[in-house]
Amino acid sequence: MEGLSVGERNFIKGGIAQDLRNDGRKRLTYRPIYVETGVIPQANGSAKVKLGATDVIASVKAELGKPTLSHPDQGKVFIYVECSPTAEPSFEGRGGEELSTELSTALERSLLGGKSGAGAGIDPASLLIKEGKVCWDLYVDCLVISSDGNLLDALGAAIKAALSNTGIPRVQFREAASSDEHADVDVSDEEFLQFDTSGVPVIVTLTKVGRHYIVDATSEEESLMSSAVSISVNRRGLICGLTKRGGAGLDPSVILDMISVAKHVSEQLINKLDSEIEAAERANEEEP
Amino acid sequence: MEYVNPEGLRLDGRRPMEMRQLRAEIGVVSRADGSASFEMGNTKVIAAVYGPREVQNRSQQMNDQALVRCEYSMANFSTGDRRRKTKGDRTGGGKRTVIPALNCSYLVVQKMEGIQSTNGYWMDKKTYSIGVGFSGRSTEISLVIRQTMEACILTHLMPRSQIDIYVQVLQADGGTRSACINAATLALADAGIPMRDLVTSCSAGYLNSTPLLDLNYLEDSAGGADVTVGILPKLDKVTLLQMDAKLPMDIFENVMQLAVEGCKAVESHIREILLENAQTLVIRQGYGS
Repeated sequence: MEGLSVGERNFIKGGIAQDLRNDGRKRLTYRPIYVETGVIPQANGSAKVKLGATDVIASVKAELGKPTLSHPDQGKVFIYVECSPTAEPSFEGRGGEELSTELSTALERSLLGGKSGAGAGIDPASLLIKEGKVCWDLYVDCLVISSDGNLLDALGAAIKAALSNTGIPRVQFREAASSDEHADVDVSDEEFLQFDTSGVPVIVTLTKVGRHYIVDATSEEESLMSSAVSISVNRRGLICGLTKRGGAGLDPSVILDMISVAKHVSEQLINKLDSEIEAAERANEEEP
Repeated sequence: MEYVNPEGLRLDGRRPMEMRQLRAEIGVVSRADGSASFEMGNTKVIAAVYGPREVQNRSQQMNDQALVRCEYSMANFSTGDRRRKTKGDRTGGGKRTVIPALNCSYLVVQKMEGIQSTNGYWMDKKTYSIGVGFSGRSTEISLVIRQTMEACILTHLMPRSQIDIYVQVLQADGGTRSACINAATLALADAGIPMRDLVTSCSAGYLNSTPLLDLNYLEDSAGGADVTVGILPKLDKVTLLQMDAKLPMDIFENVMQLAVEGCKAVESHIREILLENAQTLVIRQGYGS
């Protein structure tokens, strides 16, 4: 958001310094989070997450693919983010591309783990159907519909919810009888497998404004930030990924401090998110 | 292929003159000046309006009227099969997956107009028949929506300003053009932009010698005629008329009349939604009982 006057800037900064932000929150309080699952019927799993005025959709689509040569025992997961111009007129045309790429890479770093697949939220080995031959490719497509800051945390939460909502068809692999390459894959349209999403981390972004840092910044607060650190933490309290954004440098001790705060905040966030996802799933089941 | 069975029911169980279920919601994008989502069966779009505001690009400023701009975009997940948007490579191996949630008997249209095995069978057939990439199609739809909306906005009341309309397709199952126009109308009304009338749009087609209202994707890709009409219901004027394929004159008249009826049905629904919205606003401001 542009066009904040000096007075407004000082007001926001002063509020943060006194631990009372413009919307009445404390520095380390999230806005209410609202989850809806199964919003995109043509996907294998989907979820919509609202965090204040920030509104994102994540959809998971599974397609049969071939494992890579370097990792014949793993499936693949891809994350793409699109920023719709409905969220911000400046995303028009190719305007949103830079932000989209920044968000996709940050999400991949936070959720997918290293190249070997270690530390991934979804175990890539669980996507394998037949070693070296067939695997599931998960395409996670996210769309930003409305943006009021803290997109990364919202997208991370939406992906977690969408993965919980995802059902992958059970597959029977039949070895080819003759040598002509066509092995048979039998995709069931009745039996679906659910993922174990308890290991999927949540992302906590700490935004530094003035001398303090806050969680879940609105776009007004983001416009005042000097730097931000996004930390993804899983249920066991392990750090799964880290991204620092923003121009200003940070003192190493501050970063360590931020990580321990993020770890603390993530516990509440995971619990809140899990109960929201569960409620959303239950609401889906009750609906015919 | 039988699109209307002997009992007179269509593939999705509708009667020939029946529309899909309409659902609309106002204010889905809280940061926009006006916004709405509009659903016609499985087609779902969101529209957001920004403005009237200062013209961003000074050279486009007009001293006697407002500048209306529109952008149409389709979400990656909006079609049945995921498409890779990055390159123009849409001729890979045609993969078929049944859409589990809809468990419908959708047939895969694999070959059309010489373009082979295209991924994605929920896309409008125009994509294939023109043979251009998505950018071409979305530019065309953006233009159509812009012209249609421009015709009903009282642009002369807002000189030297700009109105942006962004439509985003979340689910595409035929009739995205119409759904986008209907969503845009609602969003403009929500933004409080002065309009002559509420433009509404609906499509109709002709298959198995039966005029059909509000085609879904499968009917749309059957190769029959597809007439998309946009009207100003109060003034009783047609502002948008598009048709592909061919039809005899007298049948065209019937099909178009059917589409116009559809537009009127959409209009009454939209008015209902707007009235409801106005009532909740009044109550929220404390003027209601």
